[in-house]
Amino acid sequence: MGKVNMEELLNCALCPNICRCECPVLQATGREAVAPAGKARLAAMLQKEQLGWDEEVLDAVSHCLSCRGCTIHCPFAELSLCDELLNTRLVAKASGARLLQVEPYLANLRNYGSPYGQKSETAACGEKGAEILYYAGCTSLANNPASIEAARSLFNKAGLSYQMIEEDCCGYPAEIWGDEELARQLAAENLRKMKESGASTMVTGCPECWLTFTGHYPEWGLELPLEIIDASTYFLSLLEEGHLKPGQADMKEVSYHDPCIWARAAQKTAEPREIIGRIPGLELLEANSCGEKTRCCGGGAMFQLSYPDTAAAIARRRLGEFAENTAIVTACPFCREGLLQENRQVLELVELLDRTCQK
Amino acid sequence: MGHMKTILQQGKVKQAVIDKFVDKATGIVGADNISSGEIDLLSTCRDYWPVSSIWMLEGSVPALPQLVVWPQSTEEVSQILALANEKKIPVVPYGEGSGALGGAVPLQGGIMLDLKKMNRVRKLDALNQLITVECGMNGALYEEYLNRGGYTGGHFPQSLRCSTVGGWLACRAAGQFSTRYGKIEDIVVSLEAVLANGTIFRGRSVPRAATGPRADLLMVGSEGVLGVITAADLCIWPLPEKRHYATYTFDNLADGLEAIRKFIRAGTRPAVVRLYDAQETGNHFPELGDERPGLILLFEGAEPIVKAEAGVVNQIVSGHCAVDAGPDFVEHWLETRFNVSAASRLLQKDAVLDTIEVTTNWHNAYVVYQAMQKALLGVEGTMMASGHWSHVYPEGAALYMTVVGFPGEDKVGYYKKIWRVAMEACLAEGAAISHHHGIGLHRGAWMEQEHGQGLEVLKKVKAALDPNGIMNPGKLGLEEVQQWEK
Repeated sequence: MGKVNMEELLNCALCPNICRCECPVLQATGREAVAPAGKARLAAMLQKEQLGWDEEVLDAVSHCLSCRGCTIHCPFAELSLCDELLNTRLVAKASGARLLQVEPYLANLRNYGSPYGQKSETAACGEKGAEILYYAGCTSLANNPASIEAARSLFNKAGLSYQMIEEDCCGYPAEIWGDEELARQLAAENLRKMKESGASTMVTGCPECWLTFTGHYPEWGLELPLEIIDASTYFLSLLEEGHLKPGQADMKEVSYHDPCIWARAAQKTAEPREIIGRIPGLELLEANSCGEKTRCCGGGAMFQLSYPDTAAAIARRRLGEFAENTAIVTACPFCREGLLQENRQVLELVELLDRTCQK
Repeated sequence: MGHMKTILQQGKVKQAVIDKFVDKATGIVGADNISSGEIDLLSTCRDYWPVSSIWMLEGSVPALPQLVVWPQSTEEVSQILALANEKKIPVVPYGEGSGALGGAVPLQGGIMLDLKKMNRVRKLDALNQLITVECGMNGALYEEYLNRGGYTGGHFPQSLRCSTVGGWLACRAAGQFSTRYGKIEDIVVSLEAVLANGTIFRGRSVPRAATGPRADLLMVGSEGVLGVITAADLCIWPLPEKRHYATYTFDNLADGLEAIRKFIRAGTRPAVVRLYDAQETGNHFPELGDERPGLILLFEGAEPIVKAEAGVVNQIVSGHCAVDAGPDFVEHWLETRFNVSAASRLLQKDAVLDTIEVTTNWHNAYVVYQAMQKALLGVEGTMMASGHWSHVYPEGAALYMTVVGFPGEDKVGYYKKIWRVAMEACLAEGAAISHHHGIGLHRGAWMEQEHGQGLEVLKKVKAALDPNGIMNPGKLGLEEVQQWEK
């Protein structure tokens, strides 16, 4: 990541913030300190040394989901407040300021390669040396093995060999919590395992992992030894090529939740809808805010670990934007985790697809 | 933050009093909804007053509160106010901080009552075209909620996405579609508020009752000095069936104004009527050039009515040598109408940008514009002073002046000068000193000239409703603020 851009930070700090309506953290907490301009002012004051680092300041500038909702209406084309705040947090470590609640998760990353702690079972499976490597991501491994089973089932139905390795976290959580050194260590370990696998293509089940591999690894000067493709794009191609054939859906309609960073940073909004559209008898209901104007579920920037109450409050607000009594489908393990409230049925896209595919 | 300089602080409440308040207030709102954290105090100590921004760049703040409290219900507001009143602690109601005149500066410290957690829709009454909404709801989210049900609130201030329903009511706001839907004072049917002693009162949402002066509507435009607006019943409308856009240019501003006066007099009510002077026409719509004033119009409603109104307007403006420039400029305006980026950029280039809106009758609408522009251009450092009319009525129109200057070191001094000459010119020509930004701190200095003996009446109302003077002290020109002279 680069240095803090003071001019852009001040553009935000001096603005009344027409993005306020799109900042889930502000809308859920009501705190001015975590409004976009509130955080930008603090970051600018830190840069100007009008303010010193302490836990309270670090806590405020950490209240960013990195969802890029603030860019929807932002009049400053060059500004990415999420990135400026990330750059600001990367400086915090040197100051000694600590976000105490994430220390155990950082320790887990150091000790076990996952923020969730010791893995209960090994992820490594499939056919060693297969061309396709499936990288599930630590959140699915820890919280939703069903989505991994669904992906494996789809590979089998398509008649494709695949392998999974003993994954380490992609590095995203460490970076978002300001520990770039640890993020790079995890990245190096992943690269080693990717090379050892001999695979030529890696399919990622988690959008944050995909963005980290394709965006941050090159920024860190790391060369990827294989092609990275996200699960939505990959399984859509299997549908298009006839390797997978969906049968009649076992439900009439679903709502699709666009993962925030997936929709805005990667513009991946069409592929999931294409997949849903290919399932016979299934109607897609759009949320009130959808596509690149989607709203975060509260799972961005690892909030489910660092600020669980705020994450849950944001998820409740987001749930209000979907049609009642319909299942919600999403393409992100964080979103699934966050939206699993109020007895809603929430599926990852691979789970939906696997339910309907006979072949 | 300990070294942060406060420029306008008039004093603070003794810490022992604050501590006792916190003990009891925690039992009312819960520990999570009260903060004395430095970051929270720093973040709520200002609004969008340009002077606050100038000071921010210099490492100073106007004044600091001592607590931030987030009530979640009217009952909690009532209990908090009663407790603050008992201990004589100042209270400043706070929405989203988009006020442009320092109305939210906590001059005497005390409590910032942040109302953003009161953000629920209580009821949507489709039959009676009413909605009951709490004060802390964000404007854009309010309109979004209505749109989902097939309605509009008809209120679109430029601050829509960064202001609250309560803020609209407290400063007597106007939206860009005001010619059809009215200002917020026309849209509100009744409201719920809490007085300094904790008394909760509500108006009734019946149409136009002749039951004496309305106590609840006294709160409209009160800017937090009389109490706290906690909820309101607002009119809503079905989403319009049809929209029609039109743009015209005129030989001169006087022709444009006269054409508008006539089509309003004829009974047409385009939702949007915006007449820009030639300079602003060139700035906003470069393809129209900067030599002729431009008028953009947006009609909406049932298709036959829209068609008829557009026809009448076209006939009238044609009689004033208007040139039809087509609909595209309105679409451009719709896309860019909430953009407020210029001030942030200019402030970093040592410029000062501000907007000054006033309101006047037709007979002197053009004269007021000329006088204010001349006065603003006469201040050393001013680079640009332009204007447009964007809210029109049968009796007159609101004028919105924009001024940009490069004053050198003394930016605050320049700010005071442009306001002084603008207000003097406005009053000398018979206009009212504000149309929709309100008074806040800075414009209070001209309230006596504006109201005459009426200001004494307002002071008596204030004394009766808030005898301890805890509600947003120093605002609306009701008390002198020695630290801030015009």
